[in-house]
Amino acid sequence: MKILSSYSIKGGVGKTALAVNLAFALREAGHRTLLLDLDPQGAASFYFRVDSAEKFRMQDTKSLVQGLRRNIRESDFPGLDVIPSNLGYRHFDILLDGMAKRRRQLRKVLEEFKPDYDVILLDCPPNITLLSENVFRASDAILVPVIPTVLSKRTLEQLTGFFQEEELPHQLLRPFFSMVQKRNKMHREIMAELQSQHPGFLKAFIPFSADVEKMGLYRMPLLAYSHTCEAARAYRALCDEILSLPSL
Amino acid sequence: MGEKVQGKECVRLALPGDLGPDSLRGEWKVEVHPKEPRVLTFWDTFEWGLWFGGHLLYSSGGVYHLCTRDSGQVRWLGTELCEERAVGKRRFWSDFETEPIRGKLEGMLGLRGLAPVAEGILRCHKWDLRNETGKIVCRLECDTVSAGKRGEKVLRNSCLVIPLLGYETDLARVVECLAQTGAFSSDDGPLEELLRDAGHEPRPYTLRPAFGLEFGMPARDAVTRIVGTILEIARRNVPGILEDLDTEFLHDYRICLRKVRSVLSLIKDVYPPGETRSMRTELGELSRQTNRLRDLDVYLLAKEEYLGLLPPGLRPALDTMFADFSSDRSREVRRTTAKMQSPSSQKLFQEIEGFFSARALHGPAPAADLAVGPLVFLRIYKSYRKIRRLAASIGLDTPDEGVHELRIECKKLRYLLEFFSELVPGKQYASMVKSLRRLQNWLGEFNDASVQQKSLMEYWRRKGSATEVALGLGGLIAILYERQQRTRCNILDALREFCGAANHATFRQSFKLAEPLAAGAVKGHSEP
Repeated sequence: MKILSSYSIKGGVGKTALAVNLAFALREAGHRTLLLDLDPQGAASFYFRVDSAEKFRMQDTKSLVQGLRRNIRESDFPGLDVIPSNLGYRHFDILLDGMAKRRRQLRKVLEEFKPDYDVILLDCPPNITLLSENVFRASDAILVPVIPTVLSKRTLEQLTGFFQEEELPHQLLRPFFSMVQKRNKMHREIMAELQSQHPGFLKAFIPFSADVEKMGLYRMPLLAYSHTCEAARAYRALCDEILSLPSL
Repeated sequence: MGEKVQGKECVRLALPGDLGPDSLRGEWKVEVHPKEPRVLTFWDTFEWGLWFGGHLLYSSGGVYHLCTRDSGQVRWLGTELCEERAVGKRRFWSDFETEPIRGKLEGMLGLRGLAPVAEGILRCHKWDLRNETGKIVCRLECDTVSAGKRGEKVLRNSCLVIPLLGYETDLARVVECLAQTGAFSSDDGPLEELLRDAGHEPRPYTLRPAFGLEFGMPARDAVTRIVGTILEIARRNVPGILEDLDTEFLHDYRICLRKVRSVLSLIKDVYPPGETRSMRTELGELSRQTNRLRDLDVYLLAKEEYLGLLPPGLRPALDTMFADFSSDRSREVRRTTAKMQSPSSQKLFQEIEGFFSARALHGPAPAADLAVGPLVFLRIYKSYRKIRRLAASIGLDTPDEGVHELRIECKKLRYLLEFFSELVPGKQYASMVKSLRRLQNWLGEFNDASVQQKSLMEYWRRKGSATEVALGLGGLIAILYERQQRTRCNILDALREFCGAANHATFRQSFKLAEPLAAGAVKGHSEP
């Protein structure tokens, strides 16, 4: 079982769109996939039409595993399950803070789902907290959407800086370009600059697309309603590239 | 009712009539996804080898599917084990070209051929039930099986209710709604429905049926019952012979006729002597019509075995012979089936059936009203003693005729034990038959080797074959002779056991009756 996370410090960069469509593409590729919506906004759950998770007590890893398991919902697409978001997840930090090895507990919890899934995909909230640190230490790859703009460039630098400070393995970070407008000169220049600075950048990128925005309208992954549009093909190419990463 | 499909507790329900999605529309939004109808042909053998082996085989769109016949039928057509796309005809297991279907069928079919047993049309609709937010919360797979050329006669609607993980309460509610409209649980799949509709019921087939005999019943009644039952089995085999579906129909038909002839000679004097004689003659005549075809079947079935006995270089030498046998067989099938269908043969068979029917009137005969038990026991014990006597003269150099006489006597004893097995205690019966069967197997092998040598010589004389063929035949005859000689030792071993003190004691205890009973068997006073 592999754990992937869709993560960005900055919001509105296509993080949830990645989680939802990558989960769909993984299941299309035959991988039993569980999408865990850790973002209290619950956008990923919304796209899958799944109601918020029932509240459960989070006292220790055991109760956490039980609560998460009870909240697994089968999506409309066989082979893809979702654990919807819950406002209670904001207490994750407090729970984790009280535990021994508090930065590594999430991996331990997710290992419990190993027999049932090939991939667990985490849709993370846009911040750096103790939960984020757990995500970093649990993941086999951290997928970071980056819009080729100056601000996004800055947040990526913040993230890599954090990894250095905390001595986290920087090769886990797998940034990729999101919402790319190829006609935009600045986009092209920033893309070239960042790719030369970060060798871990994924080659596939997601173009800016109105089709992606319609996900909220249809309440399903883009790949489910528009199989062949440019963005759909891009998500599939990204999925293929991720699956062929040496660390997976 | 609840069984797992892909790890989920699903529920299979039979629906009264075409329920349609309307009954569920009040609570869920129902999306229907129809599928193309499929014509299914189900296959099995005369003996229902697949059915009784817990399997079913159907073909649809040029693909054969082998499934297990699951109880509960959550998978309505059973759980598929394997399939094969059919390019040519598939009748015998050896006609299938791929594993594992070939191997699996070999065990269940043996020498039997497949024939269609039912045909129907299967329509499948998938329903997705969505809740108020549009999320699928339950899935249904609805199957309809119908008969008739265009599937106009709907036999059964069935549906599998499949829950989605995390939405199990919806499953319970769907089942409740369907139950309210009359849905019920049923183990029957499409094959069961189609068979019921066509009035077919898989019946176990055996050449050794129970006759319902009692020790004290009049001998004529017992013989009539035995013969009537065996003739019915013979009759059931006739369509398969005429269709030439496989070789076992003729094989079993001939065994039946032979058994009927035997029972008449083994239990003497139950009918007036002239009538018994003419019946035996008529049965012999029916049997003789099929002699040549059966001989050819035997040679052709043994083809691989024969070829395996020769070194590879000599094997092509026998190609001509087997090609001759094969074309002879085609001709012989036409001749035999025409003969069997001729008015004279049909009349003969009807006469025989009429003679042995319970309503038939016959003149008096000395043993007709004697109790069958003592009569048979006396006959069995005599037969056993005769075998012991013959055994004393059997050695490594006994002429073939001597061994042949022993074989015939063993066969008589075997038939007696088989026909009247209901009168013999089970435990003793099993041990006696076991040792007799072993002896008969070796005697059979001896006889086959002897007969085959003669037939091959005869073929060579008749055809005046080329040197190469003669070489192959010579090689084969030499091997068969050697096999026959080797068998003699095995026969002597088996005889020692069969005639030994332990077996002798069992036969004596089981069949040697006290004097008054033995006398009764002769004079007509019969109480066990």
